[in-house]
Amino acid sequence: MTEGAFFMGRGLSVGYQGRAIVEGMDFYAERGDLLVLMGPNGAGKSTVLKAVAGHLPLLGGELLLDGADMGALPMAERARKVSALFPGRLRTEHLNCREMVEMGRYPYTGYFGILGEADHEAVAEAMALTDVEELAGRDFMQLSDGQRQRVLLARALSQAPELLVLDEPTAFLDIRYQLEFLALLRKLCRERRMTAVLSVHEAELAWRAADRLLCIKDGKAAAFGTPEEVVRDGLLQRLFDIQPQRLEMAGQPALMEYAQALGKRK
Amino acid sequence: MERNFIKEHGSSRPVWPKCLLLLFFMVLLLFVNLYAGSVPVPLKEVLRILCSDAEGSMAADIVLKIRFPRALSALFLGGALALSGYLLQTFFHNPIAGPFVLGISSGAKLCVAIVMIASARFLFPLHSLTLIIAAFCGALIAMGFVLLLSARVNRMSLLIVAGIMIGYICSAVTDFAVTFAEDAQIVNLHNWTRGSFSGMNWENVRTIVLSTVSCLAGILLLAKPISAYQMGEEYAQSLGVNVRRLRVLLILLSSLLAAVVSAFAGPVSFVGIAVPHLVKRLLKTARPLVLIPACFLGGGIFCLGCDVLARCLFAPTELSISTVTAVFGAPVVLVVMLRRQKERL
Repeated sequence: MTEGAFFMGRGLSVGYQGRAIVEGMDFYAERGDLLVLMGPNGAGKSTVLKAVAGHLPLLGGELLLDGADMGALPMAERARKVSALFPGRLRTEHLNCREMVEMGRYPYTGYFGILGEADHEAVAEAMALTDVEELAGRDFMQLSDGQRQRVLLARALSQAPELLVLDEPTAFLDIRYQLEFLALLRKLCRERRMTAVLSVHEAELAWRAADRLLCIKDGKAAAFGTPEEVVRDGLLQRLFDIQPQRLEMAGQPALMEYAQALGKRK
Repeated sequence: MERNFIKEHGSSRPVWPKCLLLLFFMVLLLFVNLYAGSVPVPLKEVLRILCSDAEGSMAADIVLKIRFPRALSALFLGGALALSGYLLQTFFHNPIAGPFVLGISSGAKLCVAIVMIASARFLFPLHSLTLIIAAFCGALIAMGFVLLLSARVNRMSLLIVAGIMIGYICSAVTDFAVTFAEDAQIVNLHNWTRGSFSGMNWENVRTIVLSTVSCLAGILLLAKPISAYQMGEEYAQSLGVNVRRLRVLLILLSSLLAAVVSAFAGPVSFVGIAVPHLVKRLLKTARPLVLIPACFLGGGIFCLGCDVLARCLFAPTELSISTVTAVFGAPVVLVVMLRRQKERL
């Protein structure tokens, strides 16, 4: 099962300036899966994601995408396969949402970056999927956090990636939008056979959203498996002090319903 | 078909009418620069001189040998300054960066002054290319200091303060060098250290046009990676941009542009900061493919306008060009800073 998974990390060590923050991680995800990283603040989730997105060189181990070493992919080819959505306040000037989404087509356009028919279609599709069409002409800086995050997701989608890397995509959102965002992401991954690697700070939310969970604590992968496995083995409860009843109560796949229920309650 | 598509989806707002407007203003101001001056030449006469290639008369000499080269150098050097400012603002992700405030112009000025004084003392002829190379070296040295400091300070305002200090140090050394230069050179040098488009000949104009237009072309070729770089360096990298190479190119091109201006006109303040903001505000777009030529055009227009004021406002006394550009440019910078402040609250 592990051999030949779509996306795999083997013995992965990541860190800054040669000093490892997280060492010896093994994990994998299939096409369409959500691989969720969880762990306390400062555990190194962002560092792992930066390494996966190619912003940081690996300190050890390897990352495989569809059987190929990700580090050996040429930049342009990698850009067509992997797109990233990292936090950090973007300052833009006179940039409307459509233009923001169009940036995702960068790896596909010609020398001057002028969009062709196919690019416009990909942009329109990405905007439809994330439901941001009515924001097309709005200035990016004037959006709410939730809208902004959806536009950035559309940008990442228009890049037509096979692997999507998201660092705390729900950080600025209130709980209802967090759930909506994760439900949307899961739907998109299923439909487009796209794998997402993301970190979610809140343990319960992470557990609900994930197909596979990678728990990082004290510089190593403390647990890896499906949410059921991780809970069954009692790992999650021990690592993050979550009451097990809360997890069992809702049933894991009920993310969308949970979101809708919350929506109604508001 | 495609145009309809774009219209429906609210993408590319039309910028061409506004660009044509800029072009129109450029031509208009070019004529104003040929027409206006302390010696009156009627407009009809100006047109006749331009069309019929008439030479010999005093009016023709004034228009063709003094005003025309001066206007063209104001146009192209202004464009170079604005473009240099645009690149620096992009590079530092800092809206109030520019070649003058970061001390790059002053660094270039220092090296040019040293070369000028040396040429006067040791009597070697000064080619305009020598001046450009000297200015480029000076600009790169000042830029090196700015980069060193920018690695240590993460606040934008501190970077600007550091740049201004570098500028002051360079100016002080320049003044020091000028003080000990030969008497005859001082007047010439002093005029130039204040910044002026005066005294350009066609030889200068040719060098200016060649160097600035080739920089403009080089920058246009970088329009696509620049658009990604604006979204942040990490994001640009994940789109497949060679960020390190792009950063080096941005530094070299912006320094070269600032150097060309310093070599020929001395320091000209505030064009580099103010014009990119004015152009962005006019065109309401962030697309580098539009903004790069528009900034060049805008800088040219700005300097043509300021130069005609510098020449004519108190004619026959001529103001230094920076006096006029500061009057119009500094308020723009203040408005930009205040607006940023308000946004942050």
